[in-house]
Amino acid sequence: MFLKMLLGALVRQKKKHLMIAFTVGLGVSLATAMLGVMFDVGDKVNQELKSYGANLNVIPKGSSMMGDLYRLNEGEEGGGELSELESDFIKEDELYKIKMIFWAYNIVDYAPFLTVQVGLNGQKIPLSGTWFNKHLSLPTGDEVDTGMTAMKSWWALEGQPGDDNDSLGVLVGRELAIDQDLKVGSSFKVQGPYGQTESLKVRAIFESGGEDDRGIFAPLALAQSLAQRPGLVQRVEVSALTTPENELARRAAQNPGSLTRLEWDTWYCTAYISSIAYQIEEILPGVRVKPILRVAQSEGAILSKTQLMIILLTILTLLCSALAISNLVTANIMERSVEIGLLKALGATGLSISLLVLCEILIAGFGGGIVGYLVGLGLAQFIGLSVFGSTVAVKSVVIPIGVLMVLTVTFLGSLPALKTLLGLNPTEVLHGR
Amino acid sequence: MLSNRSFALRMVLWSLLRRRSRLLVALTGVTIGATVLLGLVSLCYDIPKQLSREFRSYGANLVLVKDQVGGRLSHGDLEAARGALPADRLVGLTPFRYEPVRNNMLPYTAVGTYFDDVKLTSPFWRVTGEYPSKPGQILLGAEVAEATKLQSGQRMTIEGRNTSQERYSKDYTITGTVSTGGVEDGFIYLSLTDMEEMTREKGLIDLVEASLTSGGTPLSDLANQVRSSVPDLEPRLVTRVTRSEETVLTKLTWLVYLVTVVVLTLTMICVTTTMMTVVMERRKEIGLKKALGAENKKVAREFLAEGLMLGIFGGLIGSFTGFLFARLVSYSVFGRGLNPEFHLVPLTVLVSALVTVIASLWPVKKAMEVEPALVLKGE
Repeated sequence: MFLKMLLGALVRQKKKHLMIAFTVGLGVSLATAMLGVMFDVGDKVNQELKSYGANLNVIPKGSSMMGDLYRLNEGEEGGGELSELESDFIKEDELYKIKMIFWAYNIVDYAPFLTVQVGLNGQKIPLSGTWFNKHLSLPTGDEVDTGMTAMKSWWALEGQPGDDNDSLGVLVGRELAIDQDLKVGSSFKVQGPYGQTESLKVRAIFESGGEDDRGIFAPLALAQSLAQRPGLVQRVEVSALTTPENELARRAAQNPGSLTRLEWDTWYCTAYISSIAYQIEEILPGVRVKPILRVAQSEGAILSKTQLMIILLTILTLLCSALAISNLVTANIMERSVEIGLLKALGATGLSISLLVLCEILIAGFGGGIVGYLVGLGLAQFIGLSVFGSTVAVKSVVIPIGVLMVLTVTFLGSLPALKTLLGLNPTEVLHGR
Repeated sequence: MLSNRSFALRMVLWSLLRRRSRLLVALTGVTIGATVLLGLVSLCYDIPKQLSREFRSYGANLVLVKDQVGGRLSHGDLEAARGALPADRLVGLTPFRYEPVRNNMLPYTAVGTYFDDVKLTSPFWRVTGEYPSKPGQILLGAEVAEATKLQSGQRMTIEGRNTSQERYSKDYTITGTVSTGGVEDGFIYLSLTDMEEMTREKGLIDLVEASLTSGGTPLSDLANQVRSSVPDLEPRLVTRVTRSEETVLTKLTWLVYLVTVVVLTLTMICVTTTMMTVVMERRKEIGLKKALGAENKKVAREFLAEGLMLGIFGGLIGSFTGFLFARLVSYSVFGRGLNPEFHLVPLTVLVSALVTVIASLWPVKKAMEVEPALVLKGE
């Protein structure tokens, strides 16, 4: 009997139920799209922010960044000389280990650097050896391509990008190129600090908008042979995806020893900049890893702001769509006063009437919800593709949230209207008011 | 005898009042729509601006130097630059002066600057201790502090020679250390006034950092503007910061726009369906009116007037709640309030009215096509 009535109502009042299904579908698609975007926006924005370059600097424990300082007084100090101690360098063949830390997947790119002063027409020019796009085979079986080209995405390059296998092909900074009248494809001779002369070829001229524009970037092997430091690098720049810092991360950064066991585990297993730095220090003995705060700090700020913004927008739009759904359900129930009055007059209990109405609405809502979920998935992909150029990974947690939301909203939304209707006197209703 | 117009007005008011609960439902629907509309549109105005401000935490995006190599700027140049840059977009303007100095015979670089401006242009500095606030105080880069084993509260002697080769030497109190993971870690910072006093040379600046928000004139045009109005200055864009900001900010702005469009469209459809349901259930009333001899046009007009009033009221209430919505988001995300954009209110009211009217049109038309007798009979 109940089933018959239910089916009958669903078929007869097709239009009204379609309307409910439609609205619920809209609400659900909105919720799915927004939740999908919300859960993924952090990763996406984080990836985008990588265009600001490295956020970690790996240097040997012995050396410090005072070298940068001395460069300013080069004239009188005769600075820029490479240290004689091997402990002031990092071994190139150990660098693959950076990709093997706990947060290996969060290491987006990294590149080693070895800078040597070379003579060019009587001037001293810094020549930095690096990996442009190095292929690494890890002992874990993973294959990795990493290097400077990906990390310095803001460089404007004229010519071909750097190639690690072109041992004499170099990138020349724009200011230096103008100074020395170098063009893409032209050759020039440089003199190493130990007297060797090498004939180099300009692969490309770059503009970085900074100090680098007065220097040369070359494959690492070339710089190592000029500096006579085979297999050694001075520093490594690492670009990692990180979680915005919180109180715990700040305390850990100051002194990891001050944490309790539990806090330490949480810290170690979260991709804070400080825990990634700590893990690199663990795996590469004899190095110090310093976060580049200009990048790391700003990343954290922007990331947390964007996430908070999207979360708030999601919550508010969810609230609005919930209100809209319950509003429609109320409207739907209210116009059925005559029908409910008749049912009551025929002796139906309040419970069975409520059950009938609720079932109808829930079935309609559920149908709409499924369609809405699919539409929402499409919308989320549309947003992801058109904004970030990549699909949004919709987390499976969205489905239960969506289902729960629809059920609760339709249920709660019908309650007040149902209550009023059940309180009505059947005679009054049937009489026509 | 009532005039035609006042009769119509009474009908509309009466129908609104009589069905208080239905009215409430419709009004809620319209208000939700208007809230989302005004809230999201004002956020659309605001968010790119606010985000652009957040991006300034990456530090200066424009650097000003003297146009000849090795030349130095004066305080006049600094003020001229301040005048040439748009004040509403300027987050901070910080002068820097570098001097080679010695402590215990070891060479260091002392940097003279204004710390209040540094806090604006380089918010990423992590200072342990405090920024110098009084004359005679200095801030050490973390590397310097480590190399010299000096700590906050201790004193440090700085000596050197000025350009006319006169010797100077002065004692300073360390107030803290700064660490950024960059070159800043290797410098000794003191206030520019202190440095001028110490070196007995005034008005020298090596470099000025400017931090400007985006929006409006592109930065490269601003740089040209400065170049032409202050001929001595050579503005340089910090490409690393500007290029990345451009791409990321554009994407984030697009994200907000797209989300807004999607949410708005869906909400407006929601409002439409609600309105349709509310009007549809009044077929009986329409039938009765027609049976009593009302013309189609008149009935339609009445319903549209009702929709219009709902739209206007809902739009007004929604404008208010929408502003609260936008303010809530702006305040909790960016920690800044939001100026009400009053010109959005008429727009919101107009759109709400349009949506309600359009939403009522269809069911009213449907109802009128039916014979009154059929409708009144029940099915």
